[in-house]
Amino acid sequence: MIDPSNIGPPRRAERFFKYFCDQEYFEELQGDLEEKFFINMKRLGQRKAKSIYRNEVLKMLRPSVIKKVKTQTQLNNTAMFKNYTLIAFRSIARNKLFSAINVVGLAISMAVGLLAITFLAELNSYDTFHINADRIYRVINTAYEPNQDPGLYATTSPLTGKRLKEEFAGFEKVVTIYRNFNGDAKKGDNTVSIRGLVATEEFFDIFTFPLIYGDPAQALKNPMSLVLTETSALALFGKTDVVGKIIEWDRGLQITVTGVAQNPPRKSHIQFNAVGSFSTLELMNRNNPSFMSWENMWNSHVYALLPKGEGIAPLQASLDKISEEENAKLKNWSIEMGLQSMSSVFPGKKLYNEIGARMDMKTVNSIVILALIVLASACFNYTNLSIARTLKRAKEVGVRKVIGARRAQLLFQFIIEAIIISLLALFFAFFIFQLLKPEFLAMDRNIQRYITLDLALSTYLYFFLFALAIGLIAGFLPSLALSKLRVSNILKGVSGIGANNKFNVRKLLIGIQFTLSMAFVIMVTLTYKQYKYVLGYDLGFTSENVLNINLQGNDVQTLINSFSQLPEISEISAASAVPSTGGMWMDRGKYIEGNDSLSLYNLHISPEYLDNLGHTLLAGTTFSETQGRNQIIINEQLLKRFQMGEPFDALGKTIRIQGKARNVIGVVKDFHYGMLDNVIEPFVFLGDPNEFNMINLKVASTDIVATMQKLEEKWIEIDGIHPFQAIFYDDRIEQAYSKLASSMKILGLLALIAISISMLGLLGMAVYTTETRIKELTIRKVLGANGTNLISLLSKNFILLFLAASAVAIPVTFYAFKEMVVSQMKYVIDIGALELGSGALIVLIIALLTIGSQTRKAIRTNPVNHLRNE
Amino acid sequence: MKGTYLGEFQEIVLLTILVLEENAYGVTIQDEIEQKTKRPVSRGALHTALTRLDEKGFITSAYGGATSERGGRRKRYYQVTNLGKSSLQEARSIRDELWSRVPKIAFQS
Repeated sequence: MIDPSNIGPPRRAERFFKYFCDQEYFEELQGDLEEKFFINMKRLGQRKAKSIYRNEVLKMLRPSVIKKVKTQTQLNNTAMFKNYTLIAFRSIARNKLFSAINVVGLAISMAVGLLAITFLAELNSYDTFHINADRIYRVINTAYEPNQDPGLYATTSPLTGKRLKEEFAGFEKVVTIYRNFNGDAKKGDNTVSIRGLVATEEFFDIFTFPLIYGDPAQALKNPMSLVLTETSALALFGKTDVVGKIIEWDRGLQITVTGVAQNPPRKSHIQFNAVGSFSTLELMNRNNPSFMSWENMWNSHVYALLPKGEGIAPLQASLDKISEEENAKLKNWSIEMGLQSMSSVFPGKKLYNEIGARMDMKTVNSIVILALIVLASACFNYTNLSIARTLKRAKEVGVRKVIGARRAQLLFQFIIEAIIISLLALFFAFFIFQLLKPEFLAMDRNIQRYITLDLALSTYLYFFLFALAIGLIAGFLPSLALSKLRVSNILKGVSGIGANNKFNVRKLLIGIQFTLSMAFVIMVTLTYKQYKYVLGYDLGFTSENVLNINLQGNDVQTLINSFSQLPEISEISAASAVPSTGGMWMDRGKYIEGNDSLSLYNLHISPEYLDNLGHTLLAGTTFSETQGRNQIIINEQLLKRFQMGEPFDALGKTIRIQGKARNVIGVVKDFHYGMLDNVIEPFVFLGDPNEFNMINLKVASTDIVATMQKLEEKWIEIDGIHPFQAIFYDDRIEQAYSKLASSMKILGLLALIAISISMLGLLGMAVYTTETRIKELTIRKVLGANGTNLISLLSKNFILLFLAASAVAIPVTFYAFKEMVVSQMKYVIDIGALELGSGALIVLIIALLTIGSQTRKAIRTNPVNHLRNE
Repeated sequence: MKGTYLGEFQEIVLLTILVLEENAYGVTIQDEIEQKTKRPVSRGALHTALTRLDEKGFITSAYGGATSERGGRRKRYYQVTNLGKSSLQEARSIRDELWSRVPKIAFQS
């Protein structure tokens, strides 16, 4: 049997024909085609007839049949545009509450958007001043060690630069830069502390750091030459024309100034106030074979300039060749080299040993994503409230349609309205942005160091485009809904319009807002807990009341003698660094008996250190005053990894470190040398006094400010040049986890914004709902319903939405926290129902208060007021 | 002058409308031409020709009653105007005159 509904011309062809056929001819042509179709069907059968029909339709595609494109609408565009704007302002003025909610919500979120735009624009302008910026690439290393994740380093061996230059191709020029060139330069009475670089002679060819005096090609050629920056030249000599002059360096070295460069631009990831010649460094290390070794990959950076119009493949091939040859000589570990373009250095992926400015791409992305989320939330408000008010605009739409407005024109009109709102919001957003700016900068030390959020002219243009885009996005759905209304429905009486689309997009949008608000609140709670947890974590030693003072090149003993005169100082020790705050030092160590070698973290300490910092010795003693250099104290991990047995068994064993056999004289309990991102690894205390950089004072004082003053006076007596740098250990630890603190602050701020926006939206919806249902509510009240009944009636839907939202928000946030916030950390809080539920509960309470306030207002008025008009 | 030229297909359409008298609408015109000329004619091509003829003022059209076999759509009936008839005459007289001047010899082969 043939399905009767299937008899007739092919549907799709029919629809297609209707779509393109000119209205004037459609009836005639369609009728003819259909008549012909039935004739053919009788004669040739259904299939053949259908195929003929389709063919006929295709042959209808000719100019005489196809709809004419109407052009007359272009004529009165300006007038219509004026009218749209006028109507938009009128409608904004008429619905003050809704307009205010929209403008305020959009303004707050757009301020966040403006922050993100400025932030991104500034980051993207980094390193663009180099003329050859697009051709400069940096060599980066990936170190593979057994049982460890591969380590990514911004550094490589100086050997790489040397071998590339001498033996390989694939680049135009290559420069090797040594990172740590720190010390004091003296000229007469003037001293400048140099934080500079040491580089080979190509430095000024590859990078665009113009020299004011001196020859860029020759400046870094010879040993003992130095290029100063304007600022450092002025500080040393009082003038900048100083080529050929001699300055004094530490240990009485005499260095010739061969050039004066402009100060490096702020937006450069490479910063310096002097550049020394690499040949000096080579000269100084001529008897040190490990300097030019493949394993010495911790301090040198290699940048290459590619030839014009060539890719990185040839250079990469050269690098692969080098690492293959050199890795063959390595035992236990290997190094691979890669290339990184100048534009992806800052912001870029997270690398160890960064040469200067660092900004993790992840941080940047998360800031942008968070801003987008907040923006979306505000757009939802606009969409929701506008769709809800469709009813009120319906008559206008009807009249416009009757007069002859086409759908596209109405769409345009309502989008213009949204854009006007968003431009208004932009105006306020700009002021909020100015308020937020210093707050944002103050949130994170890192951000403050590299970013000023100064506005460039182009940024204003971005702002404007941004507002247009937001208007478009926010206005799209409402315009669609409004322009879709059918004239016949509107003019028949508006009753059915709002209600019959049980509009679920609206519920969905509110649901998403709920979800986002909850997610933010939960995230903040979790991050705060984690932050507290980390700060209170038992590190395995006592950091309380310990004040760390940076030596800055001064003699340890002099300072110790001077400080120990103060009665408030109960104990003093010295060390090479401050553990547990991020910095880590490492050497290879070989266990002579076990014939095994390992990477060992280390710290040089004075004999008093262990006692001062409250480390627990499991066996043995601390260093002796005189024999420190030949002795080591190890931790339990090392014991385990070298399989030395019980702590006491290890005493007297020998481990070779830095080419020197050292006796184990003590074993300490494991403590956290790295941050809580790392698990505890094998570690040794060494005792070389030449390595000391810090002294640790145990302070017992009731008046810290006075004590600090006394300490500073002592410092100035000894060192008049460098400012006194002292910081309490606990504060230093807090600084080390500042990333957690700043993400907490950023999340907190965004949570606040997200909640305010979604509650504004909810308020709007509540006002709208009570307004439209006021008669129903009043009748219910007259018939005996009490306040609780009515509130639950109105909030029932919201509660359902809320439950759905928490079902999404809680697991998603839990996952996001694990994966993003604490993914690097090895020690994480236990997450329970309390942490997860509290966030959801807060949002629920605020939401109920919002809805309740409206309902209360509605039901407290005299029923007569609402019922007498009909 | 663009308006008065009568193409071959247009001439056939005009003549067919005259032949069909009161019953000249899309389907019948199409069928008639297909039968007489033995060549397939698409409704679209016919439409183009009819539009041109209408623009030149050679034909007029009017809607007739709706019938069920057309899904309730009305037929549009075509009639040749006097202008159309005179242009057919003109075309024919040109042709006749040319025929009369063709020497008989040309057909003896």
